[in-house]
Amino acid sequence: MDDHGPGFEPDLDEGSIVARAQDGDLAAFEHLVLAYQFRLFRLAYRMLNDRGDAEDIVQETLTTSWCGLPMLADVDAFGGWIFRLATNKCLDVLRKRAARAESILGSDDMDAIPGARASPVWAGWDPAHAAEWSAEQDGLTALLNTLPPAQRACWLLREMHGRSYAEIGVTLKISPAAVRGTLARARHQIAEGMSQWR
Amino acid sequence: MALDNIPRLGCGRSIDSIWASIDRSPTAHEEQCKQCQTARIQLERLSAATRALRESDLHDPALRPRPGIKNAIMDVARAEVRRGSRILLRAADNGATEISEQALSSLVRFAAAAIPGVHSRRCRIEIRPASAGLASEDHQSGTTGTATPAGPRLIVNLRVAAAPGIDIPVMAEALRQEISNAIPAGVGIAAGTVNITVEDLYDV
Repeated sequence: MDDHGPGFEPDLDEGSIVARAQDGDLAAFEHLVLAYQFRLFRLAYRMLNDRGDAEDIVQETLTTSWCGLPMLADVDAFGGWIFRLATNKCLDVLRKRAARAESILGSDDMDAIPGARASPVWAGWDPAHAAEWSAEQDGLTALLNTLPPAQRACWLLREMHGRSYAEIGVTLKISPAAVRGTLARARHQIAEGMSQWR
Repeated sequence: MALDNIPRLGCGRSIDSIWASIDRSPTAHEEQCKQCQTARIQLERLSAATRALRESDLHDPALRPRPGIKNAIMDVARAEVRRGSRILLRAADNGATEISEQALSSLVRFAAAAIPGVHSRRCRIEIRPASAGLASEDHQSGTTGTATPAGPRLIVNLRVAAAPGIDIPVMAEALRQEISNAIPAGVGIAAGTVNITVEDLYDV
């Protein structure tokens, strides 16, 4: 009998796939990796603007999830849980980057350091790819990178990944009402920025 | 982070309420209010740009991790594979026989896949040893696979998700039959008890 269990049916609901992965079924876990790796990469790339760092986030998040899976009480909470793991890992990377910038510049006031909180606007930009990219989207991602990390995470989780206020609140350790406020401020800031174009 | 600190326009309306209604036609107030009109135009533009970015990121082959990442993840998982506990089928002076819970679970799931409208989920299996305990060895059991009450018997606890609208008692009985037949056929011991818990209804 192989590891995958001969009964693995690809049209299973996600809850059943998660439950089987919890029991150690590798084929079920592989299915989850395939289902989430691109989504997590998009989130991490837009948070960190670095392919290598984003790949590390995907790898660490999914590897951690394999060990933590048996403890997950509700199979339907898998998506929220995996996004929470990835988001917090991204915020850790950004904190480390900010700390490094602080120690290099020797300043206590992070807000005084340009680019310490927000990533450089064009970091990780691939010129070969730029030709296909519309100016409007360019501008949006550039503005996104000027938001503080938690606000950016909030905006990405909601607008790019459709996660619920409750779930985002748990991830960022704030109330759903505070998620709403954070989102509104993020939208306001981006919209203001866009109005300066042309 | 300040709670509920939602940006407001000079006219008192929040950015949030304008955002929530940009898909609808403007209200009477918005028709009159210059600030609302400006905010609306900005937010409509943001909404369109957001949608465009979501779509293009989704289909952008450059926004995917390299294929090696999946393999690296699966290598770690394979190295730390959880076999679950082992179930002692027979213990005697001349040797013990054990089977991994995972091997038995696979057998149970394979059997369950034959029943339409049910997805098997987590599976726990225990064993009730031969009635007189492990020390007294019943030479009939363990090898012949007959369901004699004296032999060891498995207790299967299977959780499942069912299709909505299915007749759960009928489904559960068919499932129990299927599993009760598959276990002796597969490993030669009787499935004494098959407990089925329908924990969810899946979307079809």
